[in-house]
Amino acid sequence: MEKDSKRMTLDRRQFMQAAGAGLAATAVAGLPFAAAAQDKVELLLWAWTPDTQVQADMFTKKYPNISVKVENVGQGGPHYVKLRNAIQAGTGLPDLAQMEFNSIPSFKQLGVLADLGAAANPVKDQFIDWTWKAVSDGDKVYGIPWDSGPMGLLYRNDVFEKNKIEVPGTWDAYSEASLKLATDAPGTYMSNFGVSDAGWVAAVLWQAGWRPFHTEGTNITIKLNDDIAKKWAAYWQKLVDAKAVDTKPMWTTEWFAALDDGVHASWVTAAWAPVLMQNSMKKSVGLWRAAPMPQWTAGGTVTSNWGGSTFAAMTTTPHPEEAALFATFMGSDPEAAALWNSKQFLFPVLKSLIDDKALMGAPNAFYGGQAVNEIFVVSENQVDPSFEFAPFQDFVNQTMQDEMSASIAGSGTLGDAFDRLQDKVVAYATDQGYTVS
Amino acid sequence: MPDAVATRRRGRVYVTKSVAPYLFLLPFMALFVAFLIAPLCYAFGLSLFKTTMVAGTQFVGAANYLKVFTDPSFWDGVVLLFKFGLMQIPIMLGLALLYALILDSGRVYGRNFFRIAFFIPYAVPSVIAALLWGYLYGPSFGPFGQLAEFFHLPKPQFLLDGTILGSIANIAVWEFMGYNLIIYFAALQAIPQDLEEASSVDGATGLQYALRIKLPLIMPTVIVTIIFSIIGTLQLFSEPYLMRNLAPGIINSHYTPNFYAYTLAFTNQQYNYSAAVSFVLGGVVAVVSYVFMLLANRRAA
Amino acid sequence: MAIVSKTANSASFRNSRRWLTVALALYFIYTFIPIFYVIVSSTKSNADLFGTFGLWFSGDFHFWQNLQDLFTYQDGIFSRWLLNTILYSVVSGVGAALFATFAGYAFSKFEFVGKKLSFALVLGAVMIPQTALVIPIFLLLSKVGLVNTPWAVILPSLVFPPGVFLMKVYADDALSNELIEAGRVDGAGEVHIFFNIAFRLLTPGFATVLILAFVATWNNYFLPLVLLNSSDNFPVTVGLSQWYALATSGSGGAVLFSIVMAGSLVSIVPVIAAFLIMQRYWQGGLGAGGVKA
Repeated sequence: MEKDSKRMTLDRRQFMQAAGAGLAATAVAGLPFAAAAQDKVELLLWAWTPDTQVQADMFTKKYPNISVKVENVGQGGPHYVKLRNAIQAGTGLPDLAQMEFNSIPSFKQLGVLADLGAAANPVKDQFIDWTWKAVSDGDKVYGIPWDSGPMGLLYRNDVFEKNKIEVPGTWDAYSEASLKLATDAPGTYMSNFGVSDAGWVAAVLWQAGWRPFHTEGTNITIKLNDDIAKKWAAYWQKLVDAKAVDTKPMWTTEWFAALDDGVHASWVTAAWAPVLMQNSMKKSVGLWRAAPMPQWTAGGTVTSNWGGSTFAAMTTTPHPEEAALFATFMGSDPEAAALWNSKQFLFPVLKSLIDDKALMGAPNAFYGGQAVNEIFVVSENQVDPSFEFAPFQDFVNQTMQDEMSASIAGSGTLGDAFDRLQDKVVAYATDQGYTVS
Repeated sequence: MPDAVATRRRGRVYVTKSVAPYLFLLPFMALFVAFLIAPLCYAFGLSLFKTTMVAGTQFVGAANYLKVFTDPSFWDGVVLLFKFGLMQIPIMLGLALLYALILDSGRVYGRNFFRIAFFIPYAVPSVIAALLWGYLYGPSFGPFGQLAEFFHLPKPQFLLDGTILGSIANIAVWEFMGYNLIIYFAALQAIPQDLEEASSVDGATGLQYALRIKLPLIMPTVIVTIIFSIIGTLQLFSEPYLMRNLAPGIINSHYTPNFYAYTLAFTNQQYNYSAAVSFVLGGVVAVVSYVFMLLANRRAA
Repeated sequence: MAIVSKTANSASFRNSRRWLTVALALYFIYTFIPIFYVIVSSTKSNADLFGTFGLWFSGDFHFWQNLQDLFTYQDGIFSRWLLNTILYSVVSGVGAALFATFAGYAFSKFEFVGKKLSFALVLGAVMIPQTALVIPIFLLLSKVGLVNTPWAVILPSLVFPPGVFLMKVYADDALSNELIEAGRVDGAGEVHIFFNIAFRLLTPGFATVLILAFVATWNNYFLPLVLLNSSDNFPVTVGLSQWYALATSGSGGAVLFSIVMAGSLVSIVPVIAAFLIMQRYWQGGLGAGGVKA
């Protein structure tokens, strides 16, 4: 604890230096337009990422007339609940809100996301293409990305070596390794089948080619239980039946411990996970390694994304220009963006940072000196951009968690869960007035 | 303080007997109307409409209510609560009664200490109670799991499909047993002492006296606590809501009816349907309480 | 306990006394385990929290460090939460108890138009599910701009129907009609009678409702969760659960777990202290509601 609090203060001092340097740098680089407010304006931002205020203050240093207050109204789900309640009440929305990629369609549908295009389009080429595609619709821009989660594989080198397991390049090899480990080392699992996080399920299915939604106006295509989903369900069902995967709820202390203790030998996860692990694990220092995400076809190069966030401005804000300026700054200012990576440990969305060899190639002792980020840099460029989320993604996630967990607990197979999911989502969409096909 | 107020008022206001009750009721009733009746009417209004993402808002009359009556997600939750209540209420109140009788018997050491100690869990917010028990239930880090591991016994599984309802019930028992115990104890203390003297002259033992004389005398109190427990049970929300992170697969989004109403409003944005679910739940609570009261009265008569 | 004194020396009495005390002790252990767990846990470093036996102290006494971390994390916002909780609970507790006493007195000692109906409404109010109320309260308070202010928590908490019920029963019991009539004969006004004669006799009931309403607000989670947005306005329950969410999601670093433990301990101590100080009142008052109902 003592060590940690020291680290915090050290960070703050480093930040002061960085901020000073950043101020000089951005003064030169500048943003592509100059919409500095004449009167004093205060913006309210709802965000839960720790220390977001630090970047917000950097913005105020550059634009002294615009101050930004960051409030944390809840982490993930509860945050969106607050937003929806405020929308329902017709009052109380902030000027800006943190918005994950998968929530953008839902809030766009509710008509509360302001078009940031005027401020943001000039900097669009600085962003990794798929992240921009996920937030924009032609020239309309609904959020500015600053965090992404391209997928990869983290694994325990010690467990792999001890049990003579090769790093699996394909999902077939991953399955074989799972079965082998279950036989050779009972009590150790190749992985945890994380059905309690619908975001993870969507990410791994995204890679498999699953495209459950396509929305055009009030018409929506829903294909949750297509052949791809069924094949994927059968793949995991086989491992669940063979007790070759664990099924712990994710994000519990038990689950963290299973990773730390080597009970889970690998985790197919996103680019923000390496630092998260490093911060939470005490015993497994130096034992972890990173590898590319397993592929469905040998030699394939398809990856997907899990998580990642943007800032979106609300249509209700009385200061739309300042809000757009702020959101754009938070994503594209070189110093602010670098700080997301160095302070909040998020994975960048700017090409300049992804291509920064010094930044991405730094060796990491927790991973035995491996430059783990290099793996995820490759993945970032392989993310298939054609995935669409539903305009009621929270309902889908909730129902998916319920149904898949029910299947794990014994009511039918995982394939049945997708059938039930399809029925419920179609019923919901119809009830909400969509024309479903 | 009361004196000061009265003196200040004595010269100015003379409130008559006919006006007084309204004056005394005014502060409570004003707030009662503003924060209970008005929201309730508002919710009832909501429940008669349907707002959709695409088609806007329209009046649907009783359609939401008809939907509740055939909604398995709602009734599964009600069935679960009956199971929960049939397990939790008798255990909680039975223990509370037993221990109240023991405390009241006068045959114990440290009576005041125990009386206060048993009440303390009531001071612990349910958020914190659920968090603490959640840790205690943990298979690896929970002390019960650790003890089992130390003695090479199978680890107790508190968070699985078959056991979690009991685990949640345990939290509720822990939180509210002391509260009910104090109520019973106070009722027992109010029993005139000459009754015991009379019965001991008749040669009745302490146990006989407790069961034959004391228990019937505090039955009205017991019935009140049962009704309040039924109401509390049917509104179960906080504990499963907070335990959900530990067992997301079992505690699903419609685990209890209250939880379902919450999900409908806050995740699915079906505010109207959520209001209808809450009203039907309120109806179920009223019916169950009423039926219990009828049964209790019939047996008493 | 004069009645039992004549048998107090018999062997069977001593024997049963021993066994009954053991039975009490067993229940005490059950009651005390989670409390003991939070005490032990708040003395541990984060590593020891998950690395040592949960129900005993580890060698490394980390309590003061945890307290310091608790009150300095996020610029010391925990003390703000604690003050908020105290403010909400004290104002709601005193207000709810006072209004319930007024109302209970009115229901007990007066005949007036609409008495039966309004009392039935108050009694029926306990059957309304919380979720049914919180959402419309949120929507209504949004319209008048009270969401995310202390009033959003305090005003709804002032309505405490069980308190009215308890005070009515208590006034029926503790306050004789003759006493009030005597006051009237002396020519005293009704307000004067209430404050000078009745209130003093109703004090134990008042104190009981005060502590019940105080605890209800102190422990409330759902209402402030929905009605408040700024962490500056949070009570301890909402703030701590947010830190807990942060800790489990890993993004705040797992160090938060020991802070949450220390915070849990700190947040229950004042209520326990209030119980001990006011025990003389609530033990008597709680009984009244049950006995007479």
